Amino acid sequence: MKLNERSVAHYATCNSPPDKTGFLFKKGERNTAYHRRWFILKGNMLFYFEERESREPIGVIVLEGCTVELCESESEEFAFAVKFDCVKARVYKMAAESQAAMESWVKALSRASFDYMRLVVKELERQLEEVQGERLLQAKNKAKKHLSQVQGAEAGLRTAAPSLQNAAITGPLQEGLSSRENGVSWSKNSGVANGVSEGCAWEGDCSARAEGVRPPPVPPRRKTNGGSLESPVSPGTGCFSKLHDWYGKEVAELRIEWLQSK
Amino acid sequence: MRFNEKELVFLSRQPSERAAELGMRGPKKGDVVKRRLVKLIVNFLFYFRTDEDEPIGALLLEQCRVEREDDHVFSIVFLDEAERKYLFECDSQEQCVEWIDAIIKASYEFMRKNLIYYRTEIHRLTGKDPLEQYGISEETRFQVNSLPPLPSPPT
Repeated sequence: MKLNERSVAHYATCNSPPDKTGFLFKKGERNTAYHRRWFILKGNMLFYFEERESREPIGVIVLEGCTVELCESESEEFAFAVKFDCVKARVYKMAAESQAAMESWVKALSRASFDYMRLVVKELERQLEEVQGERLLQAKNKAKKHLSQVQGAEAGLRTAAPSLQNAAITGPLQEGLSSRENGVSWSKNSGVANGVSEGCAWEGDCSARAEGVRPPPVPPRRKTNGGSLESPVSPGTGCFSKLHDWYGKEVAELRIEWLQSK
Repeated sequence: MRFNEKELVFLSRQPSERAAELGMRGPKKGDVVKRRLVKLIVNFLFYFRTDEDEPIGALLLEQCRVEREDDHVFSIVFLDEAERKYLFECDSQEQCVEWIDAIIKASYEFMRKNLIYYRTEIHRLTGKDPLEQYGISEETRFQVNSLPPLPSPPT
């Protein structure tokens, strides 16, 4: 079976940060002696090099559908094995240079699969939605409370309040709407590198963002149909902190007006 | 470069994120469009002859760029050899758009960025690190800035 080997080898040595590196002894396939190799773990790919300075890996082990176990070895201390589910699969026997190194490698390798990463991401995505939903609810209740205080005051303000509430629904969401299509903005002949996430539709709005990190596109299941607007209370709305700030501003302004009118 | 081919072939038989018959053209001059069964599984794109069980080949989808070439055609180029394009002809615009989206999201690096974003946001909103409960908060792959700190300037 063919593989884009040159590009895979490039992935090993390119400037994206590796997840773990170090020397390990690896048992040979035909030659059953253990050879000391330099290992680089990146994502779900475990590369091994003859030397630390080697420019090209000797080989790579794709870490999907495997388990990592400690194992007994007559010749090596701190031995462990990478085993695959499939029939007649090869068992990769390795040994670390210390107990701590072995434990660290076993941990890293057993969590290296794409599937594991996907699970963690899904879980965090769910948690973030929960947190955002709660905050939106709190902000809305706070706004309602202030608005009802305002409504209890001068008659002039009473008419202003409901229209402000409508504005709250249409304002920030319209910005969020266009950025939701596919989650990736592209045009003909422009590319989106997935090694470099350019063209992502959320451009520099939220302030407290980690350096150089763009938020992920909204998953397809939340795409709106025919441009209908979601309620501001439901999760996944555009940029949360912007929405939150907007509510806060409206409330602050209303409060000032009310206080001045007394 | 050696790779665990048997295990990769086994992976190609697992449930896919997306699979379809597409027209595929290789990157070499003189390559022509051929009908292939294309399967997206984790961060690999496998391609098969339409009547065969064993894949002809696999493309690891890291460090690559996906571009729309036409109404229903997209391409994949790998950043280390950007002149070589793999072309894929879809049956419709919609299918093309869906494939592009799926492939962009299929890289480990893309997931890592998502994870870092979610982690940072949750921490910002709640003051808590959501990865602590899994005991993986210290792992390099989940750090905001995985690069080693710059050496301090000479005094």
